[in-house]
Amino acid sequence: METNYAITVDDLTVAYNYKPVLWDIDLAIPEGVLMCIVGPNGAGKSTLIKSILGIIKPIAGTVSVFGKPYKKQRSLVAYVPQKGSVDWDFPTTALDVVMMGTYGSLGWIKRPGQKEKKASLEALEKVGMLPFKNRQISQLSGGQQQRIFLARALVQNASIYFMDEPFQGVDATTEKAIINILKELRKAGKTVVVVHHDLQTVPEYFDWVTFLNVKKIATGPVKDIFNDDNLTKTYGINYKVSVQE
Amino acid sequence: MNSAQIIIQIIIALVAIACAIPGTFLVLRKMSLISDAISHSILLGIVIGFFIVEDIASPLLIVLAALAGIVTVILVEYIQKTGLVKEDTAIGLVFPALFSIGVILIAKNANDVHLDIDSVMVGDLSFAPFDLLQINCIEGVPDSCINLGPKAIWVIGTILVITLTLLITFFKELKVSTFDAGLAAALGFSPIIMHYGLMTVSSITIVGAFDAVGPILVVALMIAPAATAYLMTKDLKKMLMLSCFLGVFAAISGYWLAHVLDASIAGSMTTVLAILFLLVYEPIITSALVSISIAIAFFFYQYYQELLVHGVNFEHLPLGEKIHTVFSKFILLDFIYCIGMAVSLAGFLIYILPKRGVIYGYYKVQQQKTEIMLLVFLLHIRNHEEESERHVKHLNEHINWQRLRSKTIVDLALKNNMVTIDDSIISLTDKGEEFTEKAIDYIITNKDAEIEEMKDDFFLFRG
Repeated sequence: METNYAITVDDLTVAYNYKPVLWDIDLAIPEGVLMCIVGPNGAGKSTLIKSILGIIKPIAGTVSVFGKPYKKQRSLVAYVPQKGSVDWDFPTTALDVVMMGTYGSLGWIKRPGQKEKKASLEALEKVGMLPFKNRQISQLSGGQQQRIFLARALVQNASIYFMDEPFQGVDATTEKAIINILKELRKAGKTVVVVHHDLQTVPEYFDWVTFLNVKKIATGPVKDIFNDDNLTKTYGINYKVSVQE
Repeated sequence: MNSAQIIIQIIIALVAIACAIPGTFLVLRKMSLISDAISHSILLGIVIGFFIVEDIASPLLIVLAALAGIVTVILVEYIQKTGLVKEDTAIGLVFPALFSIGVILIAKNANDVHLDIDSVMVGDLSFAPFDLLQINCIEGVPDSCINLGPKAIWVIGTILVITLTLLITFFKELKVSTFDAGLAAALGFSPIIMHYGLMTVSSITIVGAFDAVGPILVVALMIAPAATAYLMTKDLKKMLMLSCFLGVFAAISGYWLAHVLDASIAGSMTTVLAILFLLVYEPIITSALVSISIAIAFFFYQYYQELLVHGVNFEHLPLGEKIHTVFSKFILLDFIYCIGMAVSLAGFLIYILPKRGVIYGYYKVQQQKTEIMLLVFLLHIRNHEEESERHVKHLNEHINWQRLRSKTIVDLALKNNMVTIDDSIISLTDKGEEFTEKAIDYIITNKDAEIEEMKDDFFLFRG
């Protein structure tokens, strides 16, 4: 059964300054789902992603990607950090940021060449940002910046995509464009994990959901577990979300 | 120029390049102040090294000094990580502590050696050309050494070669870890390794530059060229090259400024750096001021030399008197030449410098207003079939504009071939039609892919 899971997290505990932000998380993400992680602010959603990716070192627990430690599976995983985590005044162009996605497969020292450039241009095309390839990144709008980040993940050509709040501060059109690309990824058999805030859109966008608030509350198919009971458990107050199907 | 002068210029040019490279990354990582901290703390390393080997020229001093720099970074990060104080406070706590220990150690134990506070503070290059690197010396035999040239060139040259090699080898890794540490970590390029690598290079560079410029001005050499280049380009490679170029330019011109003014080299270099930054930051005002100063200084210097030749003794005159004596020799024509020279120089500078600053900003806002007006006007013409609404004379009533303004706008539209006037009736051309369409589209949808090529002509669409 192990091989059916893209990500397996066992007993993961993460603490900042001895205060646990994730407590004993067990999580198995099946291959090929489009999953969102929901939970209140400070629930540890970003931390969960970051510790799966080895950016934060957990104090206990193990993470495996297709049955192996992340360090051996880097090339299978793409990551889209929060847009606000980088300085958009950095002197570089949209194309160059997307090219950074190819650095992982290149490894140390080797430089990107024509092949990487071509792949990056294709990724820009996919997110509709090709006309802006030479634009300095500070000259892009928030939604455009998010698309650049998405293109950077696409160019990694991974099997699993982690995205930290890709819909933050983007308009409705961009949100639709992004979710369409994510759905295409799932169709191609990829696994997509998204930190998400807008509970209203969960049933429409995703097929798998994980409720998180320091501890894991529930995980499973949206149609089975996305209900008021789990929402109340996660957010602490009585939540009413109408789940249309 | 004698050979000692050439050697000093080579040394400071090399120092400037060696500083500009790590400086660029420090600026981009918002860590400019850490260079200040490192440059002070290395004093402690130098002093401790001196006590161990009792030799100011020993390479151990460089190693220990660089180590002190890295210890500073580690301490700052450790204090910051506790979450009790912020990074700037941590920097402000750590380096004065280490520096003051160094100062006390010098004062107590090293008073008789060449480690005095003054030369430590601003650096001293006067003797650098005569401090030669000699090998194969046989004790007691004069002239037995093989002479390899000034030591300072070897030291800073080696540091520069190492820095350049590392930069070229790890450019990609440095870039990604500076821009997005999270992604770098996820891709397997440890941001921690890059961080400490950069800190080590910075420490070693600062130690190498220490003799030349001292701990305070080395900060200027690291930060000012990078900060100036940052304003001039939005391309990392160009930014690196520009900051090296600006550093070298400031070094050489600072050297000659020091020569003319008979002042400290490091001080003059820093002054040039400050002027360079101001020129880019506020081009029009600074260009004007700099040009006027240069023009006046140029004529002042000529008369000053002339008066000296004619035997005027300036030695005992107070400064105000001196200036008055020289200026009283100026004739009207000189002032005219002076103004001519200043205007042409300022014009040239403003032409080559980036378009930025208060005056240009005002101009830009006016320009944008005009363009909005143009758009309103074009829209009006497009929306109205009836001739009465499109009559040149009636514009004022219909769009409620002053006569002068409507004339400006109509002229602008005519100049751009957006409208034609037949019998005082204005109609849109195809180009005007297309422009209006696209502009309205852009304003409503905020999608600017289609108007990329129009952006060079109009401010309005530049966000």
